[in-house]
Amino acid sequence: MLTSKTFLKKTKRGNILKIVREHYLRDDIGCGSRICKKCAIINENAILDDKLSSSISKAYVNPHYLIVDTNVVLHQIDVLEEDVLINVIILQTVLEEVKHRSTSIYKRLNDIINNPNRKFYVFVNEHHKDTYIEREPGETANNRNDRAIRVAAKWYDEHLFENQRNISLKKVIRIVLLTGDTDNKEKATQDGIFAASVEDYIYCLKDSKGIEDKLSKQEISYNEDSKEIFPCHLTPVQIHEGIKTGKLLHGSFQASKENFLEGQVNVEGYEKSILIQGYIELNRAVHGDIVALELLPEEQWSAPSEIVLQDDEVDNEEQIVESEIIKPKTVKEKTPTGKIVGIIRRKWRQYCGILQDNILQNSTRHIFVPAEKTIPKIRIETRQAATLIQQRIIVAIDSWSRYSRYPSGHFVRALGKIGDKETENEVLLLEHDVPHSRFSDKVLSYLPKLPWIISDEKVLNNINMFMNCLKQIAKRTDLRHINVCSVDPPGCTDIDDALHCNLLSNGNYEVGVHIADVSHFIKSGTALDEEAALRATTVYLLDKRIDMVPELLSSNLCSLKANEDRFAFSCIWEVTSHAEIVQINFCKSIIRSRAALTYEEAQLIIDDKKQTTVLAESLRNLNNLAKILKKKRIENGALVLASPEIRFYLDSETHDPIEVQAKQIRETNSMVEEFMLLANISVAEKIYEEFPEYAILRRHPCPPPSNFEPLIKAANYLGFEMDTSSNKNLARSLDAAQKKDNPYFNTILRILATRCMLQAVYFNSGMVTKDDFYHYGLAASIYTHFTSPIRRYADILVHRLLAACINADPTYPELLNKKKMNDICHNLNYRNRMAQYAGRASVALHTHMFFREKVQDEEGYILFVRKNALQILIPKYGLEGTLYLAPVKGGEQYVNFIYNEENHTQSYKEIVFHTFDPVIVQLSLDSSNIQHEKLIFKLVKPYIHNFSVPSVKQDTEKSQSNLNLSASEKRKEGDAFSFKSSSKKKKKMSKQ
Amino acid sequence: MDLVSSQGLRIDGRRPNELRKIRCKLGVFSQPEGSAYLEQGNTKVLAAVYGPHQTKGSRSKAIHDAAIVNCQYSMATFSTNERKRRPRGDLKSTEMTLHLKQAMQASIKTDLYPYSQIDIYLEVLQADGGNYCACVNAATLALIDAGIPLKEYVIACSASLGNGDVPLIDVSHLEETMGGSNLTVAVLPLSGQIAVLEMSQKFHIDHLPVVLNEALNGCRRIYEILDEYVKTHLNEIGTIAGWAKSDF
Amino acid sequence: MDQSICINLAVERVNTSVPTREQPCKLFTPGEIIFLQSDFMRGHGTYPEDDVLKASVAGVVEQIGKLISVKPLKNRYNGEVGDVVVGRIIEVTQKRWKVDTNSRLDSILLLSSVNLPGGELRRRSVEDEQMMRKYLIEGDLVSAEVQSIFADGSLSLHTRSFTYGKLSQGILVKVYPALVKRSKTHFHNLPCGASIILGKNGFIWISPTVSDANSSGGFTQNLDQKVLKGDREVIARLRNCILALAASKIPLYSTSILYAYEESEKYQLAELLNPESMLDIAILTQQKIQMMEDF
Repeated sequence: MLTSKTFLKKTKRGNILKIVREHYLRDDIGCGSRICKKCAIINENAILDDKLSSSISKAYVNPHYLIVDTNVVLHQIDVLEEDVLINVIILQTVLEEVKHRSTSIYKRLNDIINNPNRKFYVFVNEHHKDTYIEREPGETANNRNDRAIRVAAKWYDEHLFENQRNISLKKVIRIVLLTGDTDNKEKATQDGIFAASVEDYIYCLKDSKGIEDKLSKQEISYNEDSKEIFPCHLTPVQIHEGIKTGKLLHGSFQASKENFLEGQVNVEGYEKSILIQGYIELNRAVHGDIVALELLPEEQWSAPSEIVLQDDEVDNEEQIVESEIIKPKTVKEKTPTGKIVGIIRRKWRQYCGILQDNILQNSTRHIFVPAEKTIPKIRIETRQAATLIQQRIIVAIDSWSRYSRYPSGHFVRALGKIGDKETENEVLLLEHDVPHSRFSDKVLSYLPKLPWIISDEKVLNNINMFMNCLKQIAKRTDLRHINVCSVDPPGCTDIDDALHCNLLSNGNYEVGVHIADVSHFIKSGTALDEEAALRATTVYLLDKRIDMVPELLSSNLCSLKANEDRFAFSCIWEVTSHAEIVQINFCKSIIRSRAALTYEEAQLIIDDKKQTTVLAESLRNLNNLAKILKKKRIENGALVLASPEIRFYLDSETHDPIEVQAKQIRETNSMVEEFMLLANISVAEKIYEEFPEYAILRRHPCPPPSNFEPLIKAANYLGFEMDTSSNKNLARSLDAAQKKDNPYFNTILRILATRCMLQAVYFNSGMVTKDDFYHYGLAASIYTHFTSPIRRYADILVHRLLAACINADPTYPELLNKKKMNDICHNLNYRNRMAQYAGRASVALHTHMFFREKVQDEEGYILFVRKNALQILIPKYGLEGTLYLAPVKGGEQYVNFIYNEENHTQSYKEIVFHTFDPVIVQLSLDSSNIQHEKLIFKLVKPYIHNFSVPSVKQDTEKSQSNLNLSASEKRKEGDAFSFKSSSKKKKKMSKQ
Repeated sequence: MDLVSSQGLRIDGRRPNELRKIRCKLGVFSQPEGSAYLEQGNTKVLAAVYGPHQTKGSRSKAIHDAAIVNCQYSMATFSTNERKRRPRGDLKSTEMTLHLKQAMQASIKTDLYPYSQIDIYLEVLQADGGNYCACVNAATLALIDAGIPLKEYVIACSASLGNGDVPLIDVSHLEETMGGSNLTVAVLPLSGQIAVLEMSQKFHIDHLPVVLNEALNGCRRIYEILDEYVKTHLNEIGTIAGWAKSDF
Repeated sequence: MDQSICINLAVERVNTSVPTREQPCKLFTPGEIIFLQSDFMRGHGTYPEDDVLKASVAGVVEQIGKLISVKPLKNRYNGEVGDVVVGRIIEVTQKRWKVDTNSRLDSILLLSSVNLPGGELRRRSVEDEQMMRKYLIEGDLVSAEVQSIFADGSLSLHTRSFTYGKLSQGILVKVYPALVKRSKTHFHNLPCGASIILGKNGFIWISPTVSDANSSGGFTQNLDQKVLKGDREVIARLRNCILALAASKIPLYSTSILYAYEESEKYQLAELLNPESMLDIAILTQQKIQMMEDF
């Protein structure tokens, strides 16, 4: 069964090593075809059809299987994903090469292979005794692989033929090799194998179903005389040399969101990222690429331009405005500047966007405008432009030639009509990589069967039937006699926490936090668990909630509804009246919530002195304790930060936003929050103590001092000192910065401070030193997430760890696998970040919709003063926008603002704009370009002649109030989600 | 990188429960009482056994009712990818020596040789993972060659986990370094008694029985291979010596 | 020294096994069960466990009545009373010499077990003890017989017969003890002109034939007497023949050695060190032995 073969490999690691590895060749690898009788025994999963009625191609008479080479997979994965192509053999040589070259394509290829309907078979040719070939002297690795592919194709052809001796020649199943390499194709043809390029093959399909559009165009021929726009990229060898000698630097390229001719590269070892300015200097780098760059001599260094520039060019060939305005003339503070000379690795992916109107009718060449501002426009070819122009589509980049201003790509798929809410949400979710498909049946199969009843002997006579349930209860502490209640935003259906508080006989309080026991329902290793781990978090859009776990769990079985018996994980403290913890106890429990209150209701009960029920008393106690806890926390240096919080009132039927309001915060919000924090910290300590290597914790790194610069500068303009040396000092100076004439000033400052912060992240305690566990925002030395297992996967992991700590559940292998947990943490962090962005994007989307056909004056504050614009924050909507001071292109300039770089002010005559100044702006939606709506800011107050616009207040006031009225009437159910979403967000933000 | 591909093959083309190719030779030296050469894939080991003989050195070391087993493990300078001087008695080889001794003592019927000493020398000529296993197996062969009474063979085999939950046996160097925890077990395969069990890192309790079981299966298969070789070897030379004849 | 030295690669190494007519016999390896019943007497190379008899070494089973033992191919010398051995003195202590006889423990030659000059049975006096070094010192070779076996397994030797005693000029060849076949006599004066002592312990002593046999089991060593070149060649040839036979695991006794000697005549003395010619001799010898047995 085994034949062994050793092969030699040389690697360079300082010195040359000769590595000898074994390579076993086997005779038990099947060909995967159902037609084959020889391989019948060893074919584990023969998937290739034995009865191919006829060829799907016009070019080949014989029915056939396809073999593809590496480049075809790498470039034409979109085509391979089409259902038209079935019965494809993927050679191991190809699979390995793809894996090596691109992880994302490898993943997609695997998805296809795992889909049994597609009939893709992986043939392990490298370990098959007849198809393994050795590299010949002088042969490059690539040529060797090409030869291996041909040898395998040849083998298949002959192997299949042996099985079909008595079939007429025209019906014999053959092999067609798809290759992108002409040389390879020729050689294959010489060997007697059918070979074709993908393009030829696809064009010859009998029923191509429009997949020609998805062909990636690697080479678009340009006229010889067309002008070179970009300099050549260096070859990988040159780049390698350059980096080695220190001449070149490398890092990931981040395009600027505000100026399409600007970007920066984060280079390791450089404190500041390196600035790249100008078309030539950017040299075809796309956001995210790993690039090689050359540092310019210091006299050519520049500073980030203060202008906001968008690529509004309506294409026309290749004239690039490299105007002087790009580069600031007087550069005050130079940052290292460089130019990109080569690309080390492209990080291209698929982009959402729309087609740009084409002036030429019936042209197949179009320009695609991505939704992300950091991505350049993409040139694509399609025949379906007429239908696509109305739609949001997905496009992939294929290449970027030196002769082309834009990269060229190909159409992948359409999402739906522009402006359609569903489509827009879809775009939003796709852009943020949020998994949002329906839960698969396999996932759902792990859900408990309804009716799900918790039972014990008191309720039930028929004990046998419910033995299982009894066992479940045996491990649990029955806390149903305790007066537990939950406090949540209105309309909340996934209640994951509940509280109680009792006065003990010794004068201390017993405080309990009860968290939904999700880990009871989601057992590790199940498809349900895997799906939840992938999703990592529930994503809250304004009008939609993308659940992490199926609704049955999130809104029913796990949700701690009032007057229902529910499984919980309880954390019970005994605290003194000064909120000193005397002892902690964790247990799995069964509880019965007495009431599911809203923040408002809870607040009413607390305030209403007449109410003396047990519930009211315990709420009051909780509230008092929470206040003490909060005080302590703030004394420790916890930060109170702010971010613009708003809520939309949605129309109950159309889900269109009707009204926007900044949201209110009550005492009860902070009451719940304090106890959640307490529970999280207690649990973090416990699991870290028990599993010092495997605890899942959350840390918030201290931001580097440079992060605070904008905050310090901004405060300085107004004469406030910001001490950012520690979180405590920062909190103190934030508290001190009050301005009487500008009540919102402090909030803006806090918003700015929030932006200086780093992201808080989940991590595995075994991978980080104890000193780095610190949570900066909360000033906690150790922290984790325990209290929201319904909407966060991290909490589920923490539940499992805690359950293992108290011997309620056994551990399982993955839970104690550092590497695996680390990977999961990475995913959690990534998904969380994306969920946050998606949430914000959803707000932005609704803001746009809100302003559709509406013009409104609003009060705002200047966040930043730029060279040609003011960055303005509208607190009411939590909206940030740009007020252009320089004229829009083509417009005439009546007012010349003078920009003072020193003080960061813009002035016109006696009117001066400072940072933090209040202004009144008029908001309207520019729908002139239906495909790309923009929110326009216009100045109302202070009034500047020829620049400002008259207020619209007078005319709109009436209709406004009407609207409000109707909105509040409709609110009842319509706002459920909106409220929830923003308040949940609040929790997240404050907890960081 | 996955240690087991989705097609169920390991990096070198083996299936998870397959051993590497084993080749061996008995009696490779004339000087020692017993000697053996063993290849497990690219791991190549020489073993030599001297004794039992009178204990050397101070007499107080001698035990009145058993033989002393003395092992020495060393690696040739050229045994790994990087040429490296390996002084005797470094921490790693001392540990190895101790574990070897433990495994061999479990099988040798030392009680037959009071005041005696048995020396086992092991030299790794090429290291490609599972050095300990190859050493134990080679030492067993050398002991058999030396005609030293054993309870039974001592066989060692390593095992690890690929892709998180697929048990792999006879782990190569590449898999040792890329994978997670490794388990090495030395066992008396007929009675199933475990002489040495070592793990490079923790295994989860759920995985341990599975991995251990695979390792034991591996040991059993190595035993069969070695036993067959020993028998053909003995037959080959034993019959010439007119072994079976009673006049001996 | 213009002699070419031949070093073979491992792959080119000569397989020393010799074809044979013997049928392969049932072999046992350590741990294998020999008998399931319990009415046995366990011999060497076996051990009882859970009422069954198992082999502890790899080899063939010998059964003598109820005594069952397993005989390994190679082993350290396992002494039996009456065995003729050749040994080397390694230590001189009070009243005894320690002798290396290739057994697992050093053998003992008691002062009282040797014939002292003067020959008579008399009490060993203190003077004799002081004289011990005069008779035998470290490094001397002796031929002796196993007198008894001590409780710990070490052997007690004696040289009470005239045939035993200190060895003078000659060559010592070491082979596996199991290769030396037991026979009536282990002292041979071979017709080719040399004497040979086949020690049961695998030590073989080849010396020029001494004409006068009256040297009284003594401690005389005549190192001055020149051994003629012809005799030396014979001795060297014998040595090489014995090694050739041993390499192919052919039992050693006077006949086999003589046959080998005869077959070796066609080779130059030095050629006998080539593995090829060694194998050739072994094969020819084996054939000859079989032929003789057939008669």
